[in-house]
Amino acid sequence: MLYRCIQAENRKLHASPIWLLFFLLPVISAGYGTFNYMQNLGLLTESWYSLWTQHTLFYSLFFFPAMVAIYAAYLWRLEHLGHNWNLIMAAPVRPLALFFAKFVVVLKLVLLTQVLIFALYCLCGKVFASLPGWPPMETLLFLLRGVLGGLSVVALQLVLSMLIRSFAVPVFIALFGGITGMLAASRGKGLYWPYALMQYGMNSNKSDDLLAGNYLPFLAACLIWLTLLFLLAQLLLTRRDVKS
Amino acid sequence: MQTVIETKDLCKAYGKRLAVDHIQLHVPQGCVYGFIGPNGAGKSTTMKMLLGLIHPSAGQVFLLGRELTEKNRLALLRQTGSLIESPSGYLHLTAQENLRIVADLKGVPHKDIARVLDIVHLTADRNRKVGQYSLGMKQRLGIAMALLGDPRLLILDEPTNGLDPAGIQEMRALLADMPAATGTTVLVSSHLLGEMEQLVEQVGIINQGKMLFEGPLRELQRHSRGTLTMRVLQPQKALLVLQTNGISVQFREDLLTLPPLRDDLVAGLVQTLADSGAGVVELTRHTKSLEEIFLSLTDSKGGV
Repeated sequence: MLYRCIQAENRKLHASPIWLLFFLLPVISAGYGTFNYMQNLGLLTESWYSLWTQHTLFYSLFFFPAMVAIYAAYLWRLEHLGHNWNLIMAAPVRPLALFFAKFVVVLKLVLLTQVLIFALYCLCGKVFASLPGWPPMETLLFLLRGVLGGLSVVALQLVLSMLIRSFAVPVFIALFGGITGMLAASRGKGLYWPYALMQYGMNSNKSDDLLAGNYLPFLAACLIWLTLLFLLAQLLLTRRDVKS
Repeated sequence: MQTVIETKDLCKAYGKRLAVDHIQLHVPQGCVYGFIGPNGAGKSTTMKMLLGLIHPSAGQVFLLGRELTEKNRLALLRQTGSLIESPSGYLHLTAQENLRIVADLKGVPHKDIARVLDIVHLTADRNRKVGQYSLGMKQRLGIAMALLGDPRLLILDEPTNGLDPAGIQEMRALLADMPAATGTTVLVSSHLLGEMEQLVEQVGIINQGKMLFEGPLRELQRHSRGTLTMRVLQPQKALLVLQTNGISVQFREDLLTLPPLRDDLVAGLVQTLADSGAGVVELTRHTKSLEEIFLSLTDSKGGV
């Protein structure tokens, strides 16, 4: 059932403008990051690590939540328009499977974006910054952690866009969420706020590791947030009347 | 005869207002059932409750002999095709792509898509984006989506909305043949009684959330029989004949107005009038509008 839902969801993305965004945001953050790095070579002395922070700082603070928000809002917008809520909810599939399918599709886009971010990071490091050798393996781990932290942002934005028919409002909430995430992280409360988890994972605002030796609370926070948000989605989908 | 859809005291309250007020619906197997009422009468709300899209405030729904519950909802939906508050569909995709999505969700093999496209005559336009479709074409696509997987039960909310007269005729023919061709039971709603008269066998009339009448169309037609207007060459002769037959008649501007009468009575009267030499030139029967039928049903407290 889940596979069929994911397949249906994938078909909806065909001929959609969302792919433009997928290329645009990583290129902007890479361009800005490399430019910033080259301008501040006196301050940023840790070569690949410094370039990493410049590449991912704005990405994980603003671009990532906004991008996830746009993906999520786009997928739900397809159902809000027309009377497609009736169509999908009268289909013989569990409502949560519909939500999960959208989650998988956004996650797929997020994973591809992360890969693109890394590719651009390597490319800019070699070609523009002429850094020696190859990026440290740790940065791959940061990427993976970023995805783990990002999971709850994906779920949260999907819940918001499911409830809010407007396209822009959930995207603004995500931008605001990115800022509050930064504030929460700077006060050491990041584990209590989904938007901060992704920033923790990406390790983009300091050169020393935010999570060094402290993986268990991070993983637990990711899991708890994700579970709570899925439970919320299940409740909303089964208890509320379908409005279309 | 098995009842395919049944509701017991089905209610839906929005605040203090009962949008659906103790509805008892009985749709027999293998028939086309017309669910008729003005806009806002509670038709869509009732149909959405049949599909579990909205939750009843009280009462029960039985589909295909089983009570609709959270547990068996999916099993029942698998045998049901629906079109609610049409038209739906993804506008940036083609009809073919839309049907693939629905087929995936329903778990129906994709080879069924060609069949339903053919039924609704969209085969030639299947690779056009639905955003470019006319309302009537979107409506037909909605029907195709409902037909995917050959469901035992079809629930269609105002499927003739937005169709041109030829399209309405086509839709009628399609739905009327369905019980005989595939054994499917069809519940179809409309706000126009006239549109349904050539199609349905059973009707339910709903107004302001209340069921005013449920039963065979024939019975309802007794309520819809309106006054007769007659033009004759010799009004005085005709008046005499009618009065001796005990028919109360009004005479104004060369026209005789007769109260609603049964068909056999009308035929007999015309014969007598002709024999008397009154010279019947014109005879028109006025069909009551749905509103007038509602009034007559409400006056007789829903009884027939």
